[in-house]
Amino acid sequence: MSWQNLVFYVLGAVGLIIFLSLTVMVLTWIERKFLARIQQRMGPMRVGPHGLLQPIADVIKLISKEDILPSWADKPIYWIAPLAIFVPAIAIWVTIPFSETLVLQNLDLGLFYIAAISVLSVLGLVMAGWGSANKYSMLGGLRAVGQLISYEIPFIMAILGVAMLSQSLSLIDIINDQSKIANIIVQPIGFLIFLAAGLAELGRTPFDIHHAESEVVGGPFVEYSGAHWAIIQLAEYVNTFAIAALIAVMFLGGWSWPSMPFSGIPHHLLSVIWFLIKIYAVILLIFWIRGTYPRLRIDQLMSFGWKVLVPVSFINIVFTGFVRFYNLHWSILTVLSLITIGSIFYLIYKTPQQSRGENSIRIVPSKEAASRPPENYGDVNVR
Amino acid sequence: MLGSIKGLKVTLVTMMRKPVTAQYPIPSKRLDIEKRFMGFPALLWDDSNNEPYCTGCMVCVRECPTQCMSATMTDNDKFTEEKSTRKKIIDSFEINLSRCIVCGICVDVCNFDAIEMSHEHELSKFQRNANRANLESLLEMGKTFQEKIGWKPVQIKNIGDPVLRSKLQAEAKEKLKKLNSTDAKVDTKPEDLSK
Amino acid sequence: MEINKNVNESGSMVDMLINMGPQHPSTHGVFRLVLQLDGELIVDAEPHIGYLHRGSEKLCEAESYSQVVTLFDRLDYVANLNGELAFCMAAEKLLELEIPDRAWYIRTILCELNRIASHMLFYGVYGLDAGAMTPVLYGFRERERIQSLFEQVTGARMMHNYIRIGGVKEDLPSGFENKLYSVIDELDAAIEECDELLTQNEAFLARTKNVSRLPIEDAVNFGVTGPILRSTGLIEDVRISEPYGIYDRFDFGIPIGNTGDCWDRYYVRMQEMRESLSIIKQAMKQIEPGEIQAKMRRIVRPPEGECFVRTESPRGDLGVFLVSDGSQNPYRVKVRAPSFANLQAIKHMLEGVYVADAVVILGSLDIVLGEVDR
Repeated sequence: MSWQNLVFYVLGAVGLIIFLSLTVMVLTWIERKFLARIQQRMGPMRVGPHGLLQPIADVIKLISKEDILPSWADKPIYWIAPLAIFVPAIAIWVTIPFSETLVLQNLDLGLFYIAAISVLSVLGLVMAGWGSANKYSMLGGLRAVGQLISYEIPFIMAILGVAMLSQSLSLIDIINDQSKIANIIVQPIGFLIFLAAGLAELGRTPFDIHHAESEVVGGPFVEYSGAHWAIIQLAEYVNTFAIAALIAVMFLGGWSWPSMPFSGIPHHLLSVIWFLIKIYAVILLIFWIRGTYPRLRIDQLMSFGWKVLVPVSFINIVFTGFVRFYNLHWSILTVLSLITIGSIFYLIYKTPQQSRGENSIRIVPSKEAASRPPENYGDVNVR
Repeated sequence: MLGSIKGLKVTLVTMMRKPVTAQYPIPSKRLDIEKRFMGFPALLWDDSNNEPYCTGCMVCVRECPTQCMSATMTDNDKFTEEKSTRKKIIDSFEINLSRCIVCGICVDVCNFDAIEMSHEHELSKFQRNANRANLESLLEMGKTFQEKIGWKPVQIKNIGDPVLRSKLQAEAKEKLKKLNSTDAKVDTKPEDLSK
Repeated sequence: MEINKNVNESGSMVDMLINMGPQHPSTHGVFRLVLQLDGELIVDAEPHIGYLHRGSEKLCEAESYSQVVTLFDRLDYVANLNGELAFCMAAEKLLELEIPDRAWYIRTILCELNRIASHMLFYGVYGLDAGAMTPVLYGFRERERIQSLFEQVTGARMMHNYIRIGGVKEDLPSGFENKLYSVIDELDAAIEECDELLTQNEAFLARTKNVSRLPIEDAVNFGVTGPILRSTGLIEDVRISEPYGIYDRFDFGIPIGNTGDCWDRYYVRMQEMRESLSIIKQAMKQIEPGEIQAKMRRIVRPPEGECFVRTESPRGDLGVFLVSDGSQNPYRVKVRAPSFANLQAIKHMLEGVYVADAVVILGSLDIVLGEVDR
């Protein structure tokens, strides 16, 4: 490796971390404002105009806070855990491109690398859960593992579907392959699977099971405070940004769809902006879902993962393979996908458990209720 | 599946609306206080002869559910000079506003229009006993309250200035006579007319 | 009490004991639940109450009748007016007072508004228990409308001390009617909106449907009342079975569930809000000007005797047993708190469910710790 390369990588890595930190600050502000608007609140309004400087105030506050160590904590594990969550979150970004040239290192096995690295952060969650010596933390950490085994397979299957379409695992190849038509139109089913699995990987509503505030209080992060908590939170948002970027790359066509009429420098600049717009659109979708949905139970997530997502992702792969093998037009895959989605929604809608919902409450008029005969239940006569 | 799509629609529609929250400590952006709002109790000031309405009769002290008040009375010098209708006057009065539960019972039982629930409700202090309000501060609270809502005494008999009181009472009797002559059934007390 | 502990060969317990509360965010106050967990499954649960015990019943014995009303404000601090009403009705029963019609209409309107406010709070925190973030703010938004209305009428947002023995404290302020009608319109739309946001959401259905089904027999034997009893399919409402005040003058529906699961408990309350609105509308049509306070002596001194009254508070059957020895202070006040009775079923409900369900089940009981511990 020449020294120019070394300088490039070091500067690139530093630049990436700075960029991601700034992005996280923007994201926290956007999330708070967006959720506030959904709930008819104002959100942060004090620090700067419309609370724009709130993230900076938050960072200063978190850094200056005391780092508390529970007396029974497993010290090395407790201190390493935030790092174990943070490093994989940053490492994913090595291979995610912002434009055709603006990428730290484009890997030919980029998607494979991402799928492999993103799992690692769960290890950090388990470490945090165990190291905190707190029962709620441990429940949360173990929930994270339980979650992992249910979303990871559909996550990878959805990636496979995309790889089959573009015949490559390199992210830039995948984006360039979508210059005519984006994968979300060709393979809507893959998009939905990846969105669901991605939400589960991020631990965001409706799959925020491992740090559910109302159940396990905060999961693995209960005991953390100050800078370590800030690092964990940073990693969470970096992961959110990464999943949004992956969706933009794999399904929304990155910067290449719809193609721009420019070339040269303006093209590069526009492609970065265009790509960021797509990422932020996905992020707003994630925040919107967070503002609307309740949380699922852990066993329901598992049955959703294994009984719905895994079979559907297999169907997705079979259909994609069928269309690729016979070299059929992409619209056939779209139609097949839509039919599958429709039938799944119909099946979910027709499940006996759900369909009974509306009719189980009847309203008895007061006059009728007043003239009813007494009834006997248990040991008690009820009039 | 329809249910969750409906929910997404609801949140989207709500997002287009204006926020309903206020920005609390900023004076211009706070919510208004209703006229009947019960803040902490305050003692009222009689402008007609510049003394408090309170005579220190201890009814409110006895009726307070949390025993947060204490009071002592003294002879009124102005009464001997025939400048006041109050034979006795409040000497010292203390309400521990940290104990007060803002129930309004003291206002109900007071016969002299002397105590009223003011609109004062922000009393955060740095000391535990900093909210023990003495006579001066209670009267201060009362004066601001009176000014704010344009308070007037409910009963003529409680007015401190003897001249003004007898004048008003005479007027009220006149009115009552007139009313009685036109419609004998109207049951009006002199107190009601001054409202 | 025998606990079936899972033990290993050496005899030590392998289940995890976990304290849910008193500082857990979703125990609705200072309620402590010791859960014995086998993984995520609850093997056994033991509720502990008493962290908010203030001795209200004993305090009543040292206070005069008009002062006791302030204590009843603080029992069920989410539905204060309903608590006041229960005590005032008991004292009036001993005094054999005739309450003027207008006073009763004012009481009914405010109590039903308070019922809506209470159920709105339930809606919000139930959404939060299930993991949704937005319902709680919608619930508080609607509650705020009702509370500002209360502030206009009673002068306070929570601790009103407005319903007095023999009537109410003050007449309705001018302009109240218009404000009330506008609030009713807003509430109508808001209940619809809240319903759309949460009720049919698949994730919410999955969390609440068929969770902790309570058969009628069990519910009756546990002494469960209110929306929870009605959700099991039993038609029981004090407003119907022992109509007090002027409730026999209104036509309203009683929502009845048929399974007694968490979703039914939730939806019975949603429907009750609609019925309460219809009661308020009817009352506003029927209300006429008149006296608001019965003719009585200023110092309340009921004759020697005892009485028991039942009212339908938002949480269920709120009963007050009042013994008078003829003095200024009550001799004994016993409150039959609906939250306390409803909480009795929790141990039965929690066996064999997931930790996540425990939160949802506890939320569906809608307990107020001020009333449980008294």
